[in-house]
Amino acid sequence: MSFTQIARQCSRFAAALSTARLASSSLVGQTQTRMMHRIVMPAMISSQKFHVRQYSAKSTIEDIKFRVLKVVSAYDKQSRCGWQMRKYSAKPPLSLKLINERVLLVLKLYDKIDPSKLNVESHFINDLGLDSLDHVEVIMAMEDEFGFEIPDSDAEKLLKPADIIKYVADKEDVYE
Amino acid sequence: MAQVPLAIVSHKRQVCSLYKRALRNLEAWYDRRNVYRYRAVQLRARFDENRNKDLGEGIRLLACGQKELFETKHFQPKNFANSAGGCAFEREVIPPDWLLDYWHPLEKAQYPEYFAKREQRKKEFVVWWEKQYGKPDPKDLGHH
Repeated sequence: MSFTQIARQCSRFAAALSTARLASSSLVGQTQTRMMHRIVMPAMISSQKFHVRQYSAKSTIEDIKFRVLKVVSAYDKQSRCGWQMRKYSAKPPLSLKLINERVLLVLKLYDKIDPSKLNVESHFINDLGLDSLDHVEVIMAMEDEFGFEIPDSDAEKLLKPADIIKYVADKEDVYE
Repeated sequence: MAQVPLAIVSHKRQVCSLYKRALRNLEAWYDRRNVYRYRAVQLRARFDENRNKDLGEGIRLLACGQKELFETKHFQPKNFANSAGGCAFEREVIPPDWLLDYWHPLEKAQYPEYFAKREQRKKEFVVWWEKQYGKPDPKDLGHH
């Protein structure tokens, strides 16, 4: 995971937090709320107020920032992996250990998963309490992390971090 | 072959698929990540609103959602490099394993150790197959 992606994840939390505030405030006049994908459809969202599910009791910006920074600092990438940044013309040399660490890092940074409960064998739906749409988001995060598409028929079988690690290793032909 | 549908796809899976495609569509429209996340949370809230509806209503909503996705589709969606529509799709052709069996014996003779091991592994695979699935029916052997 590159620093850009970590920054993206952080902005993701911030966006998730500020949604309630943004949705209640006026939507007109902000450049970022232009509905670019609604060229055909009339803007039907802006009039509604959205109820966003909250997953954890602590939801101040400081708490989230502390959590994210703790997870990120626990993963000291430069000394572990030996490569300083992701080279987009060539893949970093993957190993099972590295895949394992990257999968767990992405999952720890996901705001609906409690990092203390997470381990390689925990079931997303039964143990970690995600629902099927959260599972879709997890799979999309894995696609973004490893840079290839996971079809739906395969995605529904990847219910544990261990399954994802095995699947990625199979796809990338990594066996040690 | 993973994409060939071999069974009737359940409603739940169709909804998940719609959610994923809708998110990717949003990702194509909004390149600023924070703006995309804002839209994604709104989209998620729309899905969560209809969480406990009954199946008939769900099917109607699913059709509406698919129609909306079709109408708001991005003109140039982003694709992963190696998936269909990506810039490196089918760039690297991996020859199938059985191709090695059709090498000329002179070619095979250049790698004697590998091909000896390969023959050994084929025999082991036959043993494993018969242990796993039983002896093949003599009717099924050979061509018609």
